[in-house]
Amino acid sequence: MSDSTDAPVLRTRGLCLEYGKGAGLVRAVDDVDLRVATGETVAVMGPSGCGKSTLLHLLGGLDKPSHGEVWLAGSRLDQMTEKGLARLRRTAIGFVFQAFHLMDELTATENVELPALLAGRSPRAARERAAELLEQVGLTDRAAHLPSALSGGQRQRVAIARALSNDPLVVLADEPTGNLDSEATLDVLRLFEALHAAGQTLVIVTHDARIAATADRLISMRDGAFVDETRLTGGATGRLADLAGFAGLDG
Amino acid sequence: MGPILLVWRLVRADLRRRRSEAALLLLAITAATTTLTLGLVLHGVTADPYQQTRAATAGPDVAATASSPLNGPVSPADRAALNALARAPGVIAHSGPYPLTWAALGARGLKAGAEVMGRDQTPASVDQPKLTQGSWIRPGSAVLEASFAQALGIHTGDSITLNGRSFPVVGVAVTAAIPPYPQVCTVGCDLELPQLSPSNTGLIWLTQADASSLATDRERLEYVVNLKLANPARADAVAQAFGSNSHTLTANSWQYISQQDANLVAAEQQALLAGSWLLGVLAIASIAVLVGGRMSDQIRRVGLLKAVGGTPGLVAAVLLAEYMFLALLAAVAGLLIGRLTAPLLTNPGSGLLGNASSPTLTATTVAIVVAVALTVAVAATFIPAIRAAHISTVRALADSTHPPRRTAWLIAMSARLPVPLLLGLRIAARRPRRLVLSAVSVAITVSGVVAVLTVNARNAQHFGSSSGLNNPWTNQIDQLLLLITVMLILLAGVNAIFITWATVLDAKRSLALARALGATPQQISAGISAAQTLPALAGALLGIPTGIVLIAAVNHGATMTYPPLWPLIAVIPGTMLVIACLTALPARLAGRRPVAEILQSELV
Amino acid sequence: MQEVVLAMLAKEPSHGYGLRTRLRNALGPLGEAMNDGQIYVMLGRLEKSGLVATERAEVLPDRSDRKVYALTAAGQQRVADWLTEVSWPKPDLAEFHLKLVTAAAGRLADPLVIVDAQRRELLLRLRDAQRAAMSEPDRSDAGLLLEGVVLRLQADLRWLEACERTWTGRRGRS
Repeated sequence: MSDSTDAPVLRTRGLCLEYGKGAGLVRAVDDVDLRVATGETVAVMGPSGCGKSTLLHLLGGLDKPSHGEVWLAGSRLDQMTEKGLARLRRTAIGFVFQAFHLMDELTATENVELPALLAGRSPRAARERAAELLEQVGLTDRAAHLPSALSGGQRQRVAIARALSNDPLVVLADEPTGNLDSEATLDVLRLFEALHAAGQTLVIVTHDARIAATADRLISMRDGAFVDETRLTGGATGRLADLAGFAGLDG
Repeated sequence: MGPILLVWRLVRADLRRRRSEAALLLLAITAATTTLTLGLVLHGVTADPYQQTRAATAGPDVAATASSPLNGPVSPADRAALNALARAPGVIAHSGPYPLTWAALGARGLKAGAEVMGRDQTPASVDQPKLTQGSWIRPGSAVLEASFAQALGIHTGDSITLNGRSFPVVGVAVTAAIPPYPQVCTVGCDLELPQLSPSNTGLIWLTQADASSLATDRERLEYVVNLKLANPARADAVAQAFGSNSHTLTANSWQYISQQDANLVAAEQQALLAGSWLLGVLAIASIAVLVGGRMSDQIRRVGLLKAVGGTPGLVAAVLLAEYMFLALLAAVAGLLIGRLTAPLLTNPGSGLLGNASSPTLTATTVAIVVAVALTVAVAATFIPAIRAAHISTVRALADSTHPPRRTAWLIAMSARLPVPLLLGLRIAARRPRRLVLSAVSVAITVSGVVAVLTVNARNAQHFGSSSGLNNPWTNQIDQLLLLITVMLILLAGVNAIFITWATVLDAKRSLALARALGATPQQISAGISAAQTLPALAGALLGIPTGIVLIAAVNHGATMTYPPLWPLIAVIPGTMLVIACLTALPARLAGRRPVAEILQSELV
Repeated sequence: MQEVVLAMLAKEPSHGYGLRTRLRNALGPLGEAMNDGQIYVMLGRLEKSGLVATERAEVLPDRSDRKVYALTAAGQQRVADWLTEVSWPKPDLAEFHLKLVTAAAGRLADPLVIVDAQRRELLLRLRDAQRAAMSEPDRSDAGLLLEGVVLRLQADLRWLEACERTWTGRRGRS
């Protein structure tokens, strides 16, 4: 099987995560082959418990697979030491979580600069980058606030800014709008569209169809395995006419 | 009845859930109560053996001495005074005057000093030493005092030299007239020879002729007379009166001698009481650590209790009752263990006959120990209990009452430090109270260690020229101090491990997040260790002056001794190293837990 | 709705009465609102269009519902086309729901395939509507209407997921 013209930035082959034994064997991720090209946005959808979050953790090196390979830009994740994975996470991978996972006692700026500090950059450089990113997500006026003073959508935007701190190759988002109301979802949606337009590679796990609709490719997952893949690129605005009926506008 | 039963049920259920914590806490408080019990129980234990010895040897009520002035022999007037005293009204019997001098002693290659008393071969009516080995003196032979013989390692049949002359040892005996080695000089020594010092001088009996022949120009002959009074209770007054107007005439009453016999035990008692203070405070810190570590869990329980109708009083009662129950158990355990192990410390040594009276637990002792244990429990849980009683139910259930603290300047400063220190400082700063407890716990132990170092140094000074003698005083005190130090270190170590474990649990999510953002497990472990080692440093620095103050307090104004410099400086890095090692294992375990698991579980 | 009736006949010919009962069972309480006579009107129209033919089972002069209806070849073709159709002009839950029921009952097609195909289509439409909504100025009228369309599509997609879950479960059992 030959690769496409660009080498994929993220690739898995026969990825499996099992636990339990014998009759109690559970395959959280079952023989998954995935290819994500640079600049692509891939959405993974499926019912709860289908293993999509687990898949994301495997892609980010937060968990070790039982079998199979995970490749990120030429480095093989499943055989790396914890130390190597940590280094990778602070240079090449950005995480966005459903529960935001911001440090409650740090301000927005301090949260965003944390990955840069962990990567060993100088405090000033880290602070500047944080300011830059907060401006990008439109939260400059909230930079000195603690997470408790921010709304859900604002917190997730801070989390996205944090994920971008070290210019990662790929951003992995696990149910980014799971805890957000529709207005906040829109804000995050716009951000993802902007990131996509800027060429950032995104892998998003979601069961929100709105977020999935921003992707280039949509993969459906069930019981740990990929069952369907849809290309969502293309689709001219001409189709809007069809929706007119949907809005009740036909005779 | 109902509320009490309910409280009891809740307490029992909670203790069952947290068995290991309860056990460790029990251990901590029991260490304090045991030490306290021992300290209190040691009072007056040598009184009995002294009385036994007195009875067996016809011990004197007063022992009076005429010593030689600086440049000459004992004056005839002094000798007359001594004789007059022996015939004074109220004196029903006497023995002596006996010649007394001081000589350099050599035995088995050891160099020591001897208080040489000349005696008759026939038994005296007052103060006839009782033989525990061999036979009484003959011309040319010596009888050693029992604890001196033990210190030198000499038995009947061995040979000693006095001022170079050899004397075979024909017997070993005990007496009530002079305290046993190494307390001999507490009733007065006249040491001119360079080889002699209070710590290596013991009592030895020769014939009067032999004793007199040992006197030299430097160590002249002195005279001692032993008296029995019609009214032994007046011995103090008589002794005082005799020695009041003269530098060369002294007398000791049996009460005074008995007191000196008890010196060792008194010193032990002092050490034990001081030790029990330290352990008590450490136990308070231990409880505070545990209570604080379970704060959020407790708060939720409190919320539940209140939501089902518990009054604030009930809530506070449950919290207090649990720890008071443990404290009570610890008090009982401490009393029992103290009572059982006291005989180990009350050994009067070979210088006195018989065993120490079996220590009894008086009602006062029991009351004091119980009161102290309960105070320890209340002191540690009082404030949390009051706070818990007044928390609003909604906030308690939502568990929003215990967010980590934010210290802006610390966070800003930590950004400049390497990653492990960055993490460590930020972790430590989340819970300032725990930081303080860490430091206090270490400070207490270090002050104990400093105090022990000081006492050791002082003993070495004092008994420095024991030069190989098996000094029972230093042995027993050393063992006791070692025991107390070991207990302090153990408890502080347990505290450190507990605090680390509590920190790891509390910072679980933040640490998992740090790892997801790219911190290596090694950096995380180092950070957790740093979070403990930094307060340990503060504790060590605080503990040193505290230890010195403790010594000063125990000395009550006697000459101040300071701890030796190099060991003192070594304590600081030593403490940090110990803490770093103790916290290394929990820290390592924390660094290895699967990140995904922790972050996912936060969603539930 | 016409196609639903055709699909019901695809398995085997049936009385009007039988069709009515099966429809009621598939629709549950919502089916109560259906007029009894409606189905006969529909059957009449279908017969006129040549998609359905009648056979008389028993001749009973007074009972007109003893007619048995069966699909013609044209009718069968119509059913096949309908099953693969993915247009979604209006929210028409009953029709799609019955499409799945009849496809499964008559073993005409895999309901899961139908659901997946429809989902894909709706996602594409959602994407278009969302893009259009976001390119309108914030809080404009047009934006608001498009937002409504988006939210409805999202709701429908949720239901399609539920359909997928249920039909997967049924397939597991059978």
